[in-house]
Amino acid sequence: MIAEDFIAKIEGHGALNIDWTKKKVRLEVLEGERLFEGILVGRPAKDAPWVTARICGVCPIAHNLASLKAVEAAFGIIPNRTTILLRKLMEASQIIQSHTLHLFFLALPDYIDLDSGLELAKKNPKAFKAVLALKGISDEISQVVAGREVHPTTTITGGFYKIPTKKALADLAKKLEKNIKASLIAVNLFKKLDYPRYNIELEFVSQTDNKNYPGYDSEKIISSQKDSSSIDNYKTDIAEEVRKNSTAKFAKYKKREVMVGALARLATHQNHLDPACKKLASLVNFKNPFHNNFAQAIEILHFYKSAQKIIEVLLKEELDPKIIHPSNHPSLKGIGAVEAPRGGLYHEIHLDDKGKITFVNIITPTVQNLTSMEKSAQAILDQSPGIAPEEAKRLIEMLIRAYDPCITCAVH
Amino acid sequence: MKKIILGIFDFTDCEGCQVEIVGLKEKLLTISDKVEIVNWRLGQKKARWDKFDVALVEGTPLTQEEIDLLKIIRAKSDFLVGLGTCAALGGIPGIMDKEERQKWYEKIYGPEYKGRGIDALPLSAYVAVDFLIHGCPVNEADLTRVFSDLINNKKPTYKDFSVCLPCKLADIPCRLLAKKPCLGPITQGTCGAICLKGGNACYGCFGVKEGANLEALLTILNDFSSKEEIENYFSMFLKKSKLI
Repeated sequence: MIAEDFIAKIEGHGALNIDWTKKKVRLEVLEGERLFEGILVGRPAKDAPWVTARICGVCPIAHNLASLKAVEAAFGIIPNRTTILLRKLMEASQIIQSHTLHLFFLALPDYIDLDSGLELAKKNPKAFKAVLALKGISDEISQVVAGREVHPTTTITGGFYKIPTKKALADLAKKLEKNIKASLIAVNLFKKLDYPRYNIELEFVSQTDNKNYPGYDSEKIISSQKDSSSIDNYKTDIAEEVRKNSTAKFAKYKKREVMVGALARLATHQNHLDPACKKLASLVNFKNPFHNNFAQAIEILHFYKSAQKIIEVLLKEELDPKIIHPSNHPSLKGIGAVEAPRGGLYHEIHLDDKGKITFVNIITPTVQNLTSMEKSAQAILDQSPGIAPEEAKRLIEMLIRAYDPCITCAVH
Repeated sequence: MKKIILGIFDFTDCEGCQVEIVGLKEKLLTISDKVEIVNWRLGQKKARWDKFDVALVEGTPLTQEEIDLLKIIRAKSDFLVGLGTCAALGGIPGIMDKEERQKWYEKIYGPEYKGRGIDALPLSAYVAVDFLIHGCPVNEADLTRVFSDLINNKKPTYKDFSVCLPCKLADIPCRLLAKKPCLGPITQGTCGAICLKGGNACYGCFGVKEGANLEALLTILNDFSSKEEIENYFSMFLKKSKLI
């Protein structure tokens, strides 16, 4: 494998392998194994959220939150309302950050014939200004609540070392109000794009609490085929397969290729979207995986609105900075599940009676999407007889980017 | 003025330091007026491989392919900069010992699996490195300072203060005085004490400052911390780096 073979503009190192005689598409993942599930064993439980955030620089908050939830479940800790609200705010900022970065710097160049997202500054200055505003405001929420835009510093099992002041939250509210146009510009841009037209049967899977749009609160796993699983069964129902010559595993949900992430959340939770997004959601074609990018743009608007609502609630309440400590007889085993920007993320942790980590298992969204990506890539090949190899390669690479894979997460 | 020819490369890591480069926002546009990015897999498809005035290299060269590529990049670059803690020190991936890798390949992937990773080491284990931008992740202040130096044809330099300086300036109560472990006194301080400001400890991700008094810190830590606790701090980011 040489450097030129890696797919450009995706997070991490993956390559596309098309066997033209058999007309078969294979994804090869060659990212180095950092072995996070081994790194943590023997270290104290408090290290897990700090270390696992560093699985991914694009969705560190998602890993931090899933890990916090797992350790808290193991310790029998139920965090207070302020903590939960602040974490939901972190989750919203994470999704805006990650989607903005992916949509404008990695995916958009495919649709409007640019090489790099930076070229947007000249081609469409208004859109570029909106991108910077979205990146700016989401980074700022992360800084105020999590302490930094990448890799949180304020979070701890049971709560926060430090919670933001009401003044800082009120400033954020003002900035969000001032920049709302940016999220509208983003979503309108992705509404109007000319997506490659394919019809592919996709099954969607998302975590849910049955009451809200998916995010921090997850009680079970549901599929668009009316199937469901308890989070406790995540490991058996989302079974991972080890492939020769791939450092990432490939997962299926109950032996079926399923798609997770923005399009899947939208497909399963349209009714829970912010009212500003509902009309837009009716324009999404759920048989076209390229529309994942449109779904991500809609989610930017949804989570923007959701961040505004959370701050509004926080400003009305008395903030409780209390850190909750472990219960007396904890189970010492916990699972933490959150919807990361790219889909359902699962962290499982086991501790010994001194609070040291004895076992970790992590299933990431991209591991679930890899099988779906291959299936959709195969469908493109099958639905385009006579397509020139170069064009097929271009389209399939574009499809892979539309799924927004995070290879660094997938391998971890 | 001739633009600086820049390549940005990533080995095994979280890519968070590249996210910080994108996080420069308007500044990145200003930089791109003076710098021609000819190779950046995460940011663009266009990729030139002939020669780089400056190469920014993120991540640890974990696999043989990455080690080979690092040597090629070194040969083609006038000035090679390690970007972030994984490249500079080995960082979080460096927590894993080389001897333990096989055991974990078997536990995580099964007995049939043939691992690709060799050992998570800093870039300097394989090639000469001209400068290090420290941090997990790197921060905006350091990135802009180094870019500004490079654009002005100035050799970037390290700042001679520890994390204690920005920590004191921010009026944060000293952890060591409260008998809580902290690597602040020996760590380079251009991070601005960001972790301490968040209420956390310093685990030394910005690397050991030149002339740091490691012995004195260990004496203080030994007063109130167990050996295991001290090891926990020194193994977070610094396990594969030479301390002094």
